[in-house]
Amino acid sequence: MFKVAIGHSNDFVSQTAIADAIAQCQETLAGIKPQAGILLAGIEFDREVILQEVNQVFPDLALIGGTTDGEISSVLGFEQDSLVLMLFCSDRIQIRAGIGHNLSQDPQAAAKSAIAQARCHTDEVALCLTLPESLTTSAVIVLDSLKTALDNQTPIFGGLTADGWQFQQTYQFFKNEVYSDALPVLLFSGPLLFSHGVASGWQPIGKPGRVTKVEHNIIYEIDNCPAIEFYHHYIGPRPPSSEYPLAVFAEGNEGFYLRAPSSTYDPESGSVSFFGDIPLNACVQISEAGRDRILSASQASMQQALQHYPGHDPLAALFFSCTSRRQLLGTRTQEEYQLVQQCGHQNLVSCGFYTNGEIAPLQQKSTSCFHNETFITLLLGEA
Amino acid sequence: MESLETTVTQYEAKIKHLEKENQFLKRKLKRSEQQLVFLEETNEKKETLLRTVIQDLQQSQQSLEERQQAIERLKNTQAKLVQTEKMSSLGQLVAGIAHEINNPVNFIHGNLKYIDSCLNDLLKIVKICCQNPSNVQADLAQVAEELDLDFIVDDLPKVIKSMTLGTSRISEIVRSLRNFSRLDESDFKTVDIHEGIDNSLLILSYRLKGKEIPNIQIVKQYGEIPEIDCCPGQMNQVFMNLLTNAIDACEEAYRRGIQREFYTIFLETTHYAHNRVKIKVQDNGIGISQEMLPKLFDPFYTTKPTGKGTGLGLAISYQIVTEKHNGSLECQSQVGEGTTFTIDIPIQTETKLTSVKDTYSQFHLRPRVEAKEPHKD
Repeated sequence: MFKVAIGHSNDFVSQTAIADAIAQCQETLAGIKPQAGILLAGIEFDREVILQEVNQVFPDLALIGGTTDGEISSVLGFEQDSLVLMLFCSDRIQIRAGIGHNLSQDPQAAAKSAIAQARCHTDEVALCLTLPESLTTSAVIVLDSLKTALDNQTPIFGGLTADGWQFQQTYQFFKNEVYSDALPVLLFSGPLLFSHGVASGWQPIGKPGRVTKVEHNIIYEIDNCPAIEFYHHYIGPRPPSSEYPLAVFAEGNEGFYLRAPSSTYDPESGSVSFFGDIPLNACVQISEAGRDRILSASQASMQQALQHYPGHDPLAALFFSCTSRRQLLGTRTQEEYQLVQQCGHQNLVSCGFYTNGEIAPLQQKSTSCFHNETFITLLLGEA
Repeated sequence: MESLETTVTQYEAKIKHLEKENQFLKRKLKRSEQQLVFLEETNEKKETLLRTVIQDLQQSQQSLEERQQAIERLKNTQAKLVQTEKMSSLGQLVAGIAHEINNPVNFIHGNLKYIDSCLNDLLKIVKICCQNPSNVQADLAQVAEELDLDFIVDDLPKVIKSMTLGTSRISEIVRSLRNFSRLDESDFKTVDIHEGIDNSLLILSYRLKGKEIPNIQIVKQYGEIPEIDCCPGQMNQVFMNLLTNAIDACEEAYRRGIQREFYTIFLETTHYAHNRVKIKVQDNGIGISQEMLPKLFDPFYTTKPTGKGTGLGLAISYQIVTEKHNGSLECQSQVGEGTTFTIDIPIQTETKLTSVKDTYSQFHLRPRVEAKEPHKD
């Protein structure tokens, strides 16, 4: 039987916060030994302390996690500087963890190592959950590496770890170790049921430009002028910020996807770095969103996931919401979770976090893509 | 004493709790301040963004208005060019018809004097008969011999007959002209496409008899094709265009010293599939370079010398064949060898376009019911 426990503490003292979260989980588990878990924590916590504490209580737990820009759970709703622990127990579903190091230097090797560690060759992987580093490399390359390391068919979901809108350094967790520049994964095998939803709320506005010089996730020129000038034209002489992403219209495609700037830019060359790759010659347009549109999109994401859920009632939900959404929603951020929760049934156990980028397929049973500015709902259950 | 210690412990716990709460509130305050700064900044960004977008929109509107004016100017120019093309085609038509009418008119006019002389002679005989009826036989024989009455009696009916033929020819040409002048009709009709080609050849026959260049030979290889469901006026316009181009190409080849035993226009029609026919117009003229071929059907593109072509003929022909008749018009050419235009159209079309009137339909030609072989001089 698949069982999911959740603990959420907004105590800012590391020891008491993790003890509180563990206690909440233990109450739900009622003596059952958890197989795997996800730990999401604000950037201010003493990460070593909380991981040691979890390891002491659950020594064999396949745990992954990372730092965030806000946490969500069915216990406290939306919180900042809090700590969420979600634990999975099942006698039929296998969940294994793996980690890859030095992601920015060799994403292929990191992905290969993480998957090899987590993979049990007798079971077919049903789903891959990942919480990679976000600031040192292109998430598109990371995702492509993961796809290659898996079999290109396995659906991949997750969110890029964040650091409370500082864009300095993010951390990843694996068992009782804290990493940076790493790629932790959790592979689910067995009779797992799942569905998902993706929605954004951002709309392109202003004149389109053509990407005339680009290297993976760094745009050097738009319409043969420094990329920074394109941003300055619209938001004034300020650094590009992720709440104003670029809508990217790839050649031959009618729709668009969003690429948010990662707050890294070179004033000298005028280049701007983004969280994901942008193709050469793509048509780009600056995009914006209002708070109502953002909240409607969150609701739509949950509705999509519920509509496509293959079983009767999902057991748990995972949410990956872009950090720019939280920034723009401000005091209305808590409404995002409230609206989403109203769509599902009352006993749905959920957790999530505000990310520096989201990973999910655009449609059910299709290949995973990297997104910015989206709200991704992942519903889980057992067949 | 114990009570005091308890109170102290309670206070210490309370202080600890308050300190933690204080730290918590400080952190919250810091976050709130950060959020406030962020919101102020994002407000400014949004304000700048919206102001710029409004400015962009105003510029776009202005540029749109300018473009609309430019389009208006372009439309006027285009209309003038279409008018020029119309006049050019009309000029050819008039020249062809004038040439065709001129032959029988000259012939009739030339014979009128002869008839007049014959009539005078016959009137003399009548006069003799009336003035001296008693001695008419002797005078009549003398006058008849003088006037060669036997010849007049034999020849005059022949002349009258040939003049009648001449007037019939004029009537025929005038009827054709009337058919060609039904300019605004573009309904789909079932017609013999060969008649359309032959009519166009008749109009252009004066250009085939070279004055400065050798004659252009027409070789026809008409297949057995059923009547075609088409806009005959528009299809005739296409034939006129393709034949004019073929003649121009042959003339240009001669001018550039490309020698041929015969400058030839080869016309072939084939019923090659259940509902399809091909009409081939091939010349052995100057030819068109490979670089020019892709632009050949573009409006206002011409390979002819400045002032000779409007660049609309083939564009209009292409539009007529592809859009109005669901067919295709292709061109193959080799510089110095010649050019082949191939029209491929359905025999019966499901989309029968009715009353299609546009600026280009000013020259719609109708099939001639009584079309003849080109007139021989």
